[in-house]
Amino acid sequence: MDALLTSAVAGLTAGGTYALLGVCAVFTYRLVSVVNFTGAAIGTAGTFALIALTEAGYPTWPSVLAGILVGTFVGVAIGTIMTRWFAESSASTKAAVTVALLVGLIAVGLRLTGGQHPHVMPELFPGSAFRLAGVEVTIASVLTIGLAVLFTVLSDLFLNRTRVGLHLRALSDRPMAAELLGVKVQLLSLLVWGLTGAFTTFALMIIAPQRSPNFMTLSLLVVPALAAALVGLFRSFWLTLAGGILLGVIEGMASTVDSISQYRSAIPFLVVLAVLLWSQREARWDDAR
Amino acid sequence: MTRASLRASLALVAALAVGGAAVVGLLPSYWVFLATSVLITGVALQSLGLVAGRTGMIALCQMSFAGVGAWTVGYLNLAEAPGDLAVWILLGGLAAVPFGVAIGLPALRLRGINLAIVTLSFATAFDTILATITYPGQTTFLQVPRPALFDSDGSYFVFVQIVYAVIAVALEFLARSRLGASWLAVRHSERAAAAHGVSIAASKLSAFAISAFTAGISGGLLAGYLGTLVAENFSMMASLSLYAVAVMTGAHFAEGAIIGGLLVVMFPEILRRFDLPQDIGNVLFAIGATQALSTGETMSETFRRLARKLRPARRTKAADATGASLPQPAAQAAPVALEIDDLSVRYGSVVALDHVNLKVLAGTVAGLIGPNGAGKSTFIDAVAGFLHAYEGSVKLAGAALEGRPAHLRARAGVRRTWQTNRIAPELTVGGYLNLAAKGLTESEIAAILGWLDCPDPEVPVTTVDAGTRRLLDVAGVVAARPAVVLLDEPAAGQSHEESVRLGQRIAQIPKLFGSAVLLVEHDMDLVRSVCSEITVLDFGKVIASGPPAKVLGEPAVKKAYLGIEEESVAA
Repeated sequence: MDALLTSAVAGLTAGGTYALLGVCAVFTYRLVSVVNFTGAAIGTAGTFALIALTEAGYPTWPSVLAGILVGTFVGVAIGTIMTRWFAESSASTKAAVTVALLVGLIAVGLRLTGGQHPHVMPELFPGSAFRLAGVEVTIASVLTIGLAVLFTVLSDLFLNRTRVGLHLRALSDRPMAAELLGVKVQLLSLLVWGLTGAFTTFALMIIAPQRSPNFMTLSLLVVPALAAALVGLFRSFWLTLAGGILLGVIEGMASTVDSISQYRSAIPFLVVLAVLLWSQREARWDDAR
Repeated sequence: MTRASLRASLALVAALAVGGAAVVGLLPSYWVFLATSVLITGVALQSLGLVAGRTGMIALCQMSFAGVGAWTVGYLNLAEAPGDLAVWILLGGLAAVPFGVAIGLPALRLRGINLAIVTLSFATAFDTILATITYPGQTTFLQVPRPALFDSDGSYFVFVQIVYAVIAVALEFLARSRLGASWLAVRHSERAAAAHGVSIAASKLSAFAISAFTAGISGGLLAGYLGTLVAENFSMMASLSLYAVAVMTGAHFAEGAIIGGLLVVMFPEILRRFDLPQDIGNVLFAIGATQALSTGETMSETFRRLARKLRPARRTKAADATGASLPQPAAQAAPVALEIDDLSVRYGSVVALDHVNLKVLAGTVAGLIGPNGAGKSTFIDAVAGFLHAYEGSVKLAGAALEGRPAHLRARAGVRRTWQTNRIAPELTVGGYLNLAAKGLTESEIAAILGWLDCPDPEVPVTTVDAGTRRLLDVAGVVAARPAVVLLDEPAAGQSHEESVRLGQRIAQIPKLFGSAVLLVEHDMDLVRSVCSEITVLDFGKVIASGPPAKVLGEPAVKKAYLGIEEESVAA
């Protein structure tokens, strides 16, 4: 029992990261109606900027800042492609574009970072925050979950309590119409891309030491992130948050059971399958066609 | 249909034979080896083209399906199963089918994006699972033997080529079949497809199943090609980049799959010769796919468009109906074709239809009229099964339709048209009729098209003008010869002369096709000339019904249409 609790708590850092990435995915979907497959890859780019700088001997914290800037920049760059050429495209075309961009990003990323070549990722927040029922809870996990909760609260407030948020919600499918209402859609979209880029970068920096820091592995964290977003049906931030944390905890627990620990990256797949089958109990037609 | 398939298939087989002979006869063995790889990738791309190109979904685990096929072949080899590689490859393809169906299930009712997430997570899961259980015989370096006849690299190329040709021809026939048409229709509009009696679930699942099968075959071919495999051959990245290539070249076209295969295999080869890093290929595929998505045109479509420009422009032929006869009309089973009792529909607090009663007698044309927003289209939606819920009963020839989804109502004999045209533009005119009505002969199709002055069956729908597409809609529903045809404003956007001609045709429908007609229309001349009974709706209520002359004279009807009392007009 104790071992199970320990491993569940050990999964919290990952859970917090999945939750944050998931909430960012929902945020992007609700504001610019893009299901973003490049989410984690954007953060990975920033993380590797940090690794490159620290490996070159620069001090840690300025490098973190520079890394976040790089992540923000990559996010904005992808956002520019999406808003310039695909603003009026269907949601499924937009998703297909981000898949294509993911292929390109990973290829460029692997090239620049030397493929499977091992890198040293500085642990930004070592040590434990407090003990819970005799189990150490790490600062990293408190931080990722805290960040995820913060982003959830902010997104919820922005979308439900501000005028611009309301406008954008009403019109996310029709950027042209929002533009006519005087909302600066282009600028806001880029802001969304930049903001999610910055947050995911920071989250990935925290989780990177736990994973093999290789450009592809980190970019593919988008899978649990989208699984979490599906738990929230790409609508609810709070359900997404819960889904992400739960995914991390289940993964953590699975890692202690020898017979299934090797298969734990199949967990997001099972969650996705279950959520989709559950959510489509009632028949519905594709939107308005 | 079959004639066109045969022609295309023969062209394809001839091209493959000539190309294959050139490869084997002229190229050094190393290039023959590479060409084999091109064809195997081509098979995988064809499987992807079916899902991504035809049904328009994002599928990101095609190499995992290939992995299932390859793993099965490896396992059968290890277990020293009877038969040779050809049999094992077939079994490998079949082994991939349940995976395809299981993954397709969650995407049945929701659109493409969910499938993208499911498939991507499956690809990740498969990656780790394959890395853990390893490829059968990987540790003992057990080679998968090739068939005795095709043991050398040169002859194995011929083997792969035969498999490629068989799959390409089979897919060509499928694409032109009713099932293939249903994929395009579902992609374009699920509702319109269901209105033709197409089961959306069956259509999508069959696409997934066939796609997984084909991908599994490509994996089996790869096993024979390389002898031993590792998990890396079927990595998620391979699936992702295959998707990018499929989007870029248009893998559902025969040439798209080959061009894609060439790009995937030759690009790294060329880069290697120039001492350039080989992963640049993926960057270019990403750019190419993004470009194709932004213009909405794949490489194959660009080539086809340019090729069409080179050819002399053909005038759109009208269907030639000489000597062709219309299909037998449907038997009229009951005196009342359609009977609606107390039909009510509510959207929240808004009452769209309020206790509507209506009868359509067999062998007649009835009219349903009313001002905009009166609930006419809601009525059709309810009868045809496109609403979640309604109160009251809908009986077709005496049998209640409640509880039956749209596609089953369509099969039972309720066919409808739409106010906006929903014909998938990728279809040909004949393909559309084949989708709408199962089992018509070519001469019957020609006869129906000729009867409505529609274009020749071979004409692609993209080149048909909007007005004629509305006629095509009518042609589709009558071709199925259902018990009842619901026509939703068929004359909208037609000129007066066209509308008169259309009226004459509609009046003939009961006699020629055996179907009763319910006509929703704003064109009062048309309604007056063809309908024997009309019903007038206003704000969801029936305000009058009876013979046209009587009903159109009623003050309440005039008021509903003009918004004023008759007296004040006179005053």
